[in-house]
Amino acid sequence: MTKTMRLLAVAMTLLSFGSARAADSIKIGLMAPLTGSWASEGQEMKRNVELLAAEQNARGGLLGKQVEVMVEDDGGDPRTASLAAQRLSTRGVVAVIGTYGSAVTEATQTILDEAGLVQVANGSTAVRLTEKGLKLFFRTCPRDDEQGRVGAAILEKSKAKKVALLHDSSAYAKGLADEIAAILKQRKIEIAFFDALTPKEQDYSAILTRLKAAGPDVVFFTGYYPEAGLLLKQKKQMGWKVPFIGGDAINNPDLVKIAGKDAAQGFQFLSPPVPKDLDTPEAKAYVASYQKKYGEAPSSIYGVLAGDGFRVVAKAIEATKSTSGDKLRAYLTTELKDFPGFTGKIAFNGKGDRVGELYRVYAVDASGSFVLQK
Amino acid sequence: MEQFFQQLTNGLAVGSIYALIALGYTMVYGVLRLINFAHGDLFTYGGYLGMTVLTSFLLQDRLGLAAGLLVLALMVMGLVAVIGVILERAAYRPLRESPRLSAVVSALGASIFLQNALMLVYGARYQVYPDILPQSSVSIFGLDVPIMRIAVVLTSVAMMAGLYLFVQKTKTGTAIRAAAIDQGAARLMGIDVDRVIRLVFVIGPALGGGAGLLVGLYYGQINFTMGWIYGMKAFTAAILGGIGNIPGAMVGGLLLGVVEALGAAYLSIAWKDAFAFLVLILILIVRPSGLLGERVAEKV
Repeated sequence: MTKTMRLLAVAMTLLSFGSARAADSIKIGLMAPLTGSWASEGQEMKRNVELLAAEQNARGGLLGKQVEVMVEDDGGDPRTASLAAQRLSTRGVVAVIGTYGSAVTEATQTILDEAGLVQVANGSTAVRLTEKGLKLFFRTCPRDDEQGRVGAAILEKSKAKKVALLHDSSAYAKGLADEIAAILKQRKIEIAFFDALTPKEQDYSAILTRLKAAGPDVVFFTGYYPEAGLLLKQKKQMGWKVPFIGGDAINNPDLVKIAGKDAAQGFQFLSPPVPKDLDTPEAKAYVASYQKKYGEAPSSIYGVLAGDGFRVVAKAIEATKSTSGDKLRAYLTTELKDFPGFTGKIAFNGKGDRVGELYRVYAVDASGSFVLQK
Repeated sequence: MEQFFQQLTNGLAVGSIYALIALGYTMVYGVLRLINFAHGDLFTYGGYLGMTVLTSFLLQDRLGLAAGLLVLALMVMGLVAVIGVILERAAYRPLRESPRLSAVVSALGASIFLQNALMLVYGARYQVYPDILPQSSVSIFGLDVPIMRIAVVLTSVAMMAGLYLFVQKTKTGTAIRAAAIDQGAARLMGIDVDRVIRLVFVIGPALGGGAGLLVGLYYGQINFTMGWIYGMKAFTAAILGGIGNIPGAMVGGLLLGVVEALGAAYLSIAWKDAFAFLVLILILIVRPSGLLGERVAEKV
């Protein structure tokens, strides 16, 4: 009995310390894949959010308190992510930014929702994430079905008669390929090939040989840039000239480094606009200060979308003068309109999805730059 | 039919890389009965060290392409061999007398350490090799085969043949084989078993590092986690051929590569790995010790 009492007393003291410290600052959690296969994305997310938090603190913080970013590594893995979400929810954060992969985010949704924390994901585009009726979940990235619509529209415009769809079996890539396939079927465009590659391999010649045998007019690859780069490079080595189109996971300058300029030239992909293509003064100033702090421009759009997530949360806290999840939700869904995000104007609908057309078409030019197609 | 032969060349290229890595698993297993889980990471180190040496010394400009590549390969293999010897010293030798499970755990730990150390030094982004190799392809019987793919296959076959001759024909090679059969008896015959083990940890990592360099040069893209998938496949290849058996690892690697490519060609691409592992299971049901694994009488 006394032992239990003593333990309780210790626990109480610890708890009171915890809350006393929490009162000094406003903590915002960031869940990001700092290790694992998406580590490069995760580290950019961290850079963006930490830079924005530092800027916010330089302007006097939030509600008169300093902002503290609590970073947890989700390893790009659902199991690690659920532990990360639990840790964040016990560390006194008021909202969580992140994370990147859809399956990874999905593992954290209910944990954070039950803890009463607003979550703003930055790269998780799977449709079902916002179809569950979770009140506190938002995302700054668009959904796969919107991307599917834009993707199918490009394929239709290209006048292709036979289309090949290639994904990588990830929830995201498969979802996008399914969306496109469903629309193409309605439009009576033939799908000559529908299959998946294994990500993280290096030799895709077996797949390319098979693709070539199917004889498509255009290939739409819905996966990520490392595989896309290798596909383009090996396609060139084979001497095969069919055009490739990709989804928004391909928007990373490393694509051109991996494929080589010659092989990447003419490749098109869908993406939310990158900061350099936004002419708002906010975006320009932000890219400049990012460049100043880290010595290079932000390379991933998802890092910037995490930054937008942070700014939306900061704005909501400032406007409501509160950190309660319900008040933040009410503000984000009803009052936040035309917020000048780096990636365009931001507003959310009742499901937590971002409102408005986000996707643009980019093409790789001869010098290896991504050029916005009008 | 054309697709069949095209896929065959695709499979042989991948398979020869698997085979090179599989040799490292099989040699260590043969002598120590230990699965060196860090071997896939040594392969990755080959890729990264190759990139560093290539971009910092510019050997191909100073010595010409062929000589430059040869020196590059020797340097990378030497460096990875040094890491292999340190690994054996630090992670395996202290546990030589402990239960086998401890050594396996130590191997897994070493793998995690090596992988993350690489990420901290080079960063998590994909690294790209400079383009120094010819990208052209030749036409053989109506098939377009990139020259580099032929070079990859020839290089690996040459390395494997060299190893085979070394193990079969030299005195040191005989010592390795003796230690693999029975360490105690080998010691009684005057063989310095510790030296043999050290040598195994020079040769295996050197070949694995060489494979990493080949992958970097040929595919142009490396990542700090790439050793995992290659390691898995090579480990499978080693078992397929009969773990502990050197020609078995070569056969297993090539076979696995070809089976994968043909699986991708005629079945679903997404199922090609499942298909490859199905073949593994079938072979192991028929021949539990692998394709070339010797049937060792049960010791009582």
